[in-house]
Amino acid sequence: MTIFLASVGFGLITAAVLAIASVAFTLQFAVTNVLNLAFAAIMTFGMFVTYWVNQAGVSVWLGLIIAMAACAALSIVLNLVVYAPFQRRGSSPITIVIVSLGMALIIEFGIQAYVGGVNVSYTMGQGTTYKIGGLILTTVQLVIIAISVVMMVAVYALLRYTKLGKSMRATAANRTLARNCGIRTSRVITTTWALTGALCGLAGTVFAIDIVSFGPTSTDLFVVLILAAVFLGGPGHAYGAMIGALLIGLSTEVSAAYIPPDYKYVIAFVALLAMLAVRPSGLFGARA
Amino acid sequence: MYYLITIVVYAAVDVMSCLGLSMQFGIGGVTNFGFIIFQAAGAYTAAILALPPDTANGGFQSYLGGLHLPFPLPWIGAAVAGAALALPFTVLVGRRLRGDYAAVGLLVTAVLMNLLVMNYKPLFNGDAGVAIVPAPMQSQVMTTTTTGYQWGFAIAVVLLAALVYWFLRHITESPYGRTLRAMRDNDKVADSLGKDLQSLRTGVLLLGGAIAGLSGAALVSFISVWSPAAWTYAETIVLFAAVIIGGRGNHRGAVLGAIIVPVGFEESTRLIANANPSLPPNLLPSLQWVAIGLLVALFLWFRPQGLLPERKRVIALPSSAAQAGKPSLGAPTDTVLSTAGTVVALQPLAPPGADDIVLRAIDVGRDFGGVHAVAGVSLEVRRGTLTGLIGPNGAGKSTLLALLAGTDNVSAGQILYHGADVTRVPAYRRARLGLVRTFQLASEFKRLTVLENLLSAAPGNRGDSFRGAVAGRRYWGKDEAAAIAKAAALLTRFGLESIANEYAGDLSGGQRRLVEIMRALMTDPQMLLLDEPMAGVHPELARRIGTALVELCRDGMTILMVEHELAIMDEFCDPVIVMADGAVLAEGTMTELRDRTEVVEAYLVG
Repeated sequence: MTIFLASVGFGLITAAVLAIASVAFTLQFAVTNVLNLAFAAIMTFGMFVTYWVNQAGVSVWLGLIIAMAACAALSIVLNLVVYAPFQRRGSSPITIVIVSLGMALIIEFGIQAYVGGVNVSYTMGQGTTYKIGGLILTTVQLVIIAISVVMMVAVYALLRYTKLGKSMRATAANRTLARNCGIRTSRVITTTWALTGALCGLAGTVFAIDIVSFGPTSTDLFVVLILAAVFLGGPGHAYGAMIGALLIGLSTEVSAAYIPPDYKYVIAFVALLAMLAVRPSGLFGARA
Repeated sequence: MYYLITIVVYAAVDVMSCLGLSMQFGIGGVTNFGFIIFQAAGAYTAAILALPPDTANGGFQSYLGGLHLPFPLPWIGAAVAGAALALPFTVLVGRRLRGDYAAVGLLVTAVLMNLLVMNYKPLFNGDAGVAIVPAPMQSQVMTTTTTGYQWGFAIAVVLLAALVYWFLRHITESPYGRTLRAMRDNDKVADSLGKDLQSLRTGVLLLGGAIAGLSGAALVSFISVWSPAAWTYAETIVLFAAVIIGGRGNHRGAVLGAIIVPVGFEESTRLIANANPSLPPNLLPSLQWVAIGLLVALFLWFRPQGLLPERKRVIALPSSAAQAGKPSLGAPTDTVLSTAGTVVALQPLAPPGADDIVLRAIDVGRDFGGVHAVAGVSLEVRRGTLTGLIGPNGAGKSTLLALLAGTDNVSAGQILYHGADVTRVPAYRRARLGLVRTFQLASEFKRLTVLENLLSAAPGNRGDSFRGAVAGRRYWGKDEAAAIAKAAALLTRFGLESIANEYAGDLSGGQRRLVEIMRALMTDPQMLLLDEPMAGVHPELARRIGTALVELCRDGMTILMVEHELAIMDEFCDPVIVMADGAVLAEGTMTELRDRTEVVEAYLVG
């Protein structure tokens, strides 16, 4: 039972980190129509921006804010310089996926060329360890979960109640129609890149905090978890991605307590593949 | 000397794998981000088939098999393993899944497999891999063989690569290859013309998988070790980069790309690294990846066709085309194609009887979310009629057409074709039954010529299957010639012989519509479903199309046509069905419809 509860604790943290990334990824895809496989590379950029700021003697939490800004800027630039021109030319979705893989290589290995191949860590304390009903969590881990919950509520409020959120949903549903209805879709899309880019930087930093020791290639596997969560919930569905992240996060960590931990990702992958084969629109998507 | 041999062998292996990928991605349009695991599977199979049981050598490594089979059995086994591994993937690339989603699925699977292999020691010896794989026909590993043997090996692998090239070319330049390219350019349309996407994609996955497996066998026999760390999904990106840079849809391009990217890049970085030992160990490999990413993006932007673009397949029209090659034409179409009968008969020759209902919809509905795009539509289309379907925008006309053709699935109701229930019959099989649709948006196969567009739709070509393609031109040449004659006659009929060898993607809007109608006619349809065939077409040409359609109906074809232009309805269509808000509002001749107020209110003056 203790092992089970401890693994639930790990699962919650993984799910919290994964939820931020998955919601950002799925929103990005829904509104901009770019299946951005460079997402994890931008996360890596974010975790290193925080690291560099942190190395300069600044708190990780302040670094996190700067990383969010940096990743928002990088995402906007990536869209303006690369994705938007390809889309204007009418490139097929698969071309854009391949381009995004190219961008992933450039960013990820550009960072590796700069920092080298060694792993680093932030300078920060983990805080007090709490035991809450069998779950064992540190202050920092609780903060990560809290950040994630706040983010989810914020995304919900954004999409549900604000004009921007409604414009984003309208653009996602039908870009041409949205434009004809007077929504400035290009501005909505740029804003979406900024918002999801910032969330990407946030996800990258909390991911680095969570795994403690990280390097330029640390997100290689994580991107597959993001894809699993996103496709499980239905690509483009923000709430689906939240549920998908929770399912994937918990199932990988809890299963790790009972099967060799090396196989813990297998469950996520099998879930994803089964989903793609049986119901490509995901748990919450419209039936294909 | 050994260095030179190494480069030759690596080049041949890379050429083979790029050819396999080129077949899948460039010809078949299947983006297999998991390509590398097929090579890995082939390499592993070759290794364990060639190695003695794992108790040998003190049992320091564990693996399956250890059959100690003589060459070439391990290599054949590798090709079989590569193809067999493709089987479970075929479910991902079926009819329903978007190409980019399938690509993500394949990418994820590649990562998953790598992870499993790295961690599952009994099967693959974990991340240590398998070592001391003997060279073909030797009891020792490659490095301990004589230079003469190594050169012999290198030449054999080069010959093998040449054989793979020749074989893939043989397949690609057949009617089957043309069908694959049509699917690559527009899979939905290929489906609507009677092509079984699932089976076509299964074919390219198996073929590419077998070639990948074979290339893996050649590699593992040479380097004598099999290590899972060498088969990460990033290696697939290198191969994609090679195919994109060399030129897609074009096996020469794949060969060139293989020599430039995997060979040229890796060797040049190795040379630079050897010349500058003071550089940090990670720098050059990292920069190499950055450069590959840059090259892929730059090529896709500036030269998407690659260094060697896909060659245009120019097919000469038979010289008799001008006289409308009659002998090869099927019964229903030959009168139509005779240039003499230009007098338009507005009524079918024989009044259709009650049993002459070709297509019947019973209470058909289609919901999108909460929207009832089509709700409770019942209609009958009689043989030999050119039935019009009109209605305001959003009335559900195109959706209805898709439901009738099977390119979309009904939420409710039944569709009967010649009295048989086809509600659950997929589009490609309805097309084979003679129920063929066209599309509202441009749907030509862009990188096929006009003539190839037409030929791709010809049914019953013996070369339009993998087996037929392997059998070669002698097997399918006659069918091909017949199809060319038929296509030539159609081109003459519509006055498009001069553009027969233009890429369909380069045509004007009106010409594209014509190509699409001709292509649908190539399938020998019994019933055509046309979605605004005259939209954006010059009025004079529209009249010619209308006249031709009426002639087709007179000769027994049945047509249901969505059209906005009421003048066309007036002139050619009888009866006309009016739709509004997803339901049938009225049916009758245009004259009758103009007298009905609800119709006039809904549409005619709207």
